[in-house]
Formats: sequence, C-alpha cells, structure tokens
Amino acid sequence: MSAKSCELRTVMVMNISSESRQIAISVRELIVDYKLLRAVNNISFDAKAGEVTVVIGPNGAGKTSTMEVCSGVRTATSGKVSVLGLDPKKDRSKINSQIGVMLQDGGVYPSARVFEIAQHYCNLYGNRTTADELLDAVDLTQQKKTSWRKLSGGEKQRLSLALALAAKPRVAFLDEPTSGVDIFGRDLIRGIVRQLASDGCAVIMATHELDEAQRVADHVLMFHNGSLVANAPLTELLNSTGENQTLEDIFRSFAKNSPMSKLRDEQ
Amino acid sequence: MARNGEQLLLLVVIPVMLLVFFSQTDFLPTIAGNKIDFLMPGILCLAVISTAMVSLGISTGFERSYGVLKRLGTTPLGTRRLVMSKVSAICVIEVAQLALLIIVGQLLGWSPNRINLAQVLVLLLVGTSCFAGIGLTLAGRLRAEINLAAQNGLYLVLFLLGGILVPNDELPKTLGNVAQVLPSSLLSSLLRDSFNNNTFDSTNAIALGGWAFAMCALAVISFKWSD
Repeated sequence: MSAKSCELRTVMVMNISSESRQIAISVRELIVDYKLLRAVNNISFDAKAGEVTVVIGPNGAGKTSTMEVCSGVRTATSGKVSVLGLDPKKDRSKINSQIGVMLQDGGVYPSARVFEIAQHYCNLYGNRTTADELLDAVDLTQQKKTSWRKLSGGEKQRLSLALALAAKPRVAFLDEPTSGVDIFGRDLIRGIVRQLASDGCAVIMATHELDEAQRVADHVLMFHNGSLVANAPLTELLNSTGENQTLEDIFRSFAKNSPMSKLRDEQ
Repeated sequence: MARNGEQLLLLVVIPVMLLVFFSQTDFLPTIAGNKIDFLMPGILCLAVISTAMVSLGISTGFERSYGVLKRLGTTPLGTRRLVMSKVSAICVIEVAQLALLIIVGQLLGWSPNRINLAQVLVLLLVGTSCFAGIGLTLAGRLRAEINLAAQNGLYLVLFLLGGILVPNDELPKTLGNVAQVLPSSLLSSLLRDSFNNNTFDSTNAIALGGWAFAMCALAVISFKWSD
C-alpha cells in the first residue's frame, strides 16, 4: 500500500464520528505493582472498536504491563478492566477466542517452521483463515519452510503479527510490532493495522517510536513513569498546542513537566 | 516433545542400553534369581521418570522461557487444555517406550511369573503423575538452563537411589534409608512386586500416592507461566 493511500484511509476513518464507536476496552484506576516498583499508577482510559489506540512512552513507562493486564496474561494489583464487556482474568476462555495478541518477545518455539506455526495458530482459532493467507498478508510466503530462529528480526515481527491475525480478532493487542523492522516492513505492518481498524477491530498498539505512532494512531495514550500523561484523539493532541508540533515534541514537553523530571532537575 | 535427538537418547537409548548391558554382564552379583526379572521393573520405572519428569520438565521450561506458554495462554487453547495436551503426549510416549522395553526384555528372556496388569497400570499412572509433578514444579520456577541441569541431576539421583540397578539394602545404611522413601524406589519396588510376586505393599503404595498428590499440588500452586 502506498503512503498516500494509507494517509487517505486515515483521513476517511477519522471522519467517522469517534463518539459513535463502541467502547471495546475500559480500564479504571488500574495499578500494577512489582516487588519494588509501581509499574502502572492509577490509570483510566477507554479504547474503541474501529480505532487504533497507540500506547506510547519510553521503556519502562508501563505500556507492556497495561497491555498484559488487558490481554489477561498479568494480574492487576487493583483496578477494574473490562474487555468486550468481560473480565480478562475471570472470563479468559470467552475472551481468548476474540482477541489477537502479539507479545514483545514473539513467544514461538525457535525450531518450529514458519508454515507449521501459522497452521497451528489457524487451528487454535478454528481455521477462521488459512496459513497461506496469513503468510501472504505479511509477505512471508517465501520463508514457509524456514525455522523461527533463522528468521531476521523484521521477519519474526511480521510472523508474530500474522499469528495475532489468525484470530480475526475483535480486539488486537500489539506490543512493539515495528521494533527492529525495516521501512518496507513498517509500511506493511501499518497497512495491516489500519485494515484491522477499518474492519471494526479495536487495536491497542504499544510503541516507543513516536513517528510511527503519529502515522498510525487514531487515539493516543501517553505513558510516563507509570502514569497516563495524555489520553486524547491524535488530531486533538496535535492541535492542542496551536503550533505545528509533532507527537515527539508534545511528548518531550510532557516528560519535562513530569514530577520525576522536575525532581531530577533539582538534584 | 520427542522431536530432538537428545530426547531419543534419554527416552529410548539409555533405558534399552542399561537393560541389555546389565542383564548380560555380571556387575550386579548381589541380585538373587534371574537378573532380568530384577532389572525390568526398575528400567520401566526409569522410563517413566525420563518421560514424565525430565522430558516434560525440560521442554516445558524452555517453552516458558521462550514465552510460548504465555502466548498460548492468550489463545483459545488456554492453559488447562495445554496441560491436558501435554499429559496425553506423555501417555503416548510412555506407551511406545514401555512396549519397546517389554519387547527387548522378552528377547532377553524376561518372563514374569504372575503379572497383575491392572495393578501395574495404576502404578504407572500414579508414578507418572508424581514425576510429572516434580518436573513441572522445577520447570515452572527455574530459569530454562538451570532447570535443564536440575532435571538431569535429579534424574541421576532418582536412578541411583531408586533401587533400579542396585537394591537399596546394598547401599550404606543412611543412604539406603533415604533412598527407600524416594518415589523412584517406591515405584520400582511396587512394580517388582506386581511383576514377580503378585504382592502389594500398601504402605509403599500410600507413600507413592502421597508423593504424587503433593508434587502435583505443588506444581499447580507454584507454576509461573512466564518469567
């Protein structure tokens, strides 16, 4: 897909009233603590069906912890999370058939071959699509017989994304899908992400690459030190400053004004 | 699970080699009666340990560290069905393993007196649960490489102190007393009774059942799906 048609699609999607879209994920007062660290500190947000909600912030900001709680692989310390009206922990078996999850570290057995892996995931979801279709979508047909360990970083990411698509998901959790991916791979992944949203899926995508976030987002959740410092539609956020600022500029100003940064400056 | 070459060594080559070697040589002079009658139940017990504990434990440990378990936990397979599929995989491998060992044993002249088949099957099942519980407890907590070493080390301990090659009463007294209560000793001795004497030591059986219950419970409580 060309960059221009991708932009056009973005504009068209943005024209549909965001208000009318259904809330797919609702998070209220979420706290996630590790032994010595509060990773997520009392955050609340909604993510809507048909939108790409991008979760941005530096490493260790709480993005992955939040995504993991929403996708049911981590237990929250406190707070209320609802995905498609269900509890990600208690109703896990009901939710699992409707969500596609792409973990940061792949989660694939290294000796397994590309086609086998894709086939396995298609079977798990009752063959809603075929392995050939999945591999075609992420341009890995040529690597069908290659084992996971022999794939390049970008190929691994594309396959991992394909596995999340096997669900034909209503909600997709994508953790750093473009990390380590070259420019063509990024274009391809961005196209898939936008297509998911056009098909009505609620896409939650974590990234610390802010230019990528700006290209693909409908809605932005900005994390810093476990707190949510911004929660707004992308256009609103970009217009809020009144200047021609990028997401990166806005993030820098939020990070600079955070209590932690002030503390660092004082020291 | 039985995909890699080293697994084949553990699951098939080692038990068969031990069986053939020690039934054909006189390194174990203390064994009264037919050597193969003593060896066979112990080697069957070793086969159960290699599949249910070592093979299951090592593969699960690596799957955990690669994030495979975490990711599969988000699919409709879910964690419960994942465990069920692993249990069925163990059963299939054990059936093949035991069939092969029994054929090799018969070729070496193994002819048990009175087999209590139902008793043997129940014992194998309880033993499998017990060793699977131990394997998964280690796999669910340790780092993959440490887990690999721990499973192999424990395999050796359970083997040497399991009354499999050397009867426990031939060991130094203290060591023998410890060995007697290990699950490998309990299973090999119970199997030996079922094959050769058609007797049943209920104290040993209760102890093995206790091990199985405790180890499975510990695995369920302590298992972490990801690091």
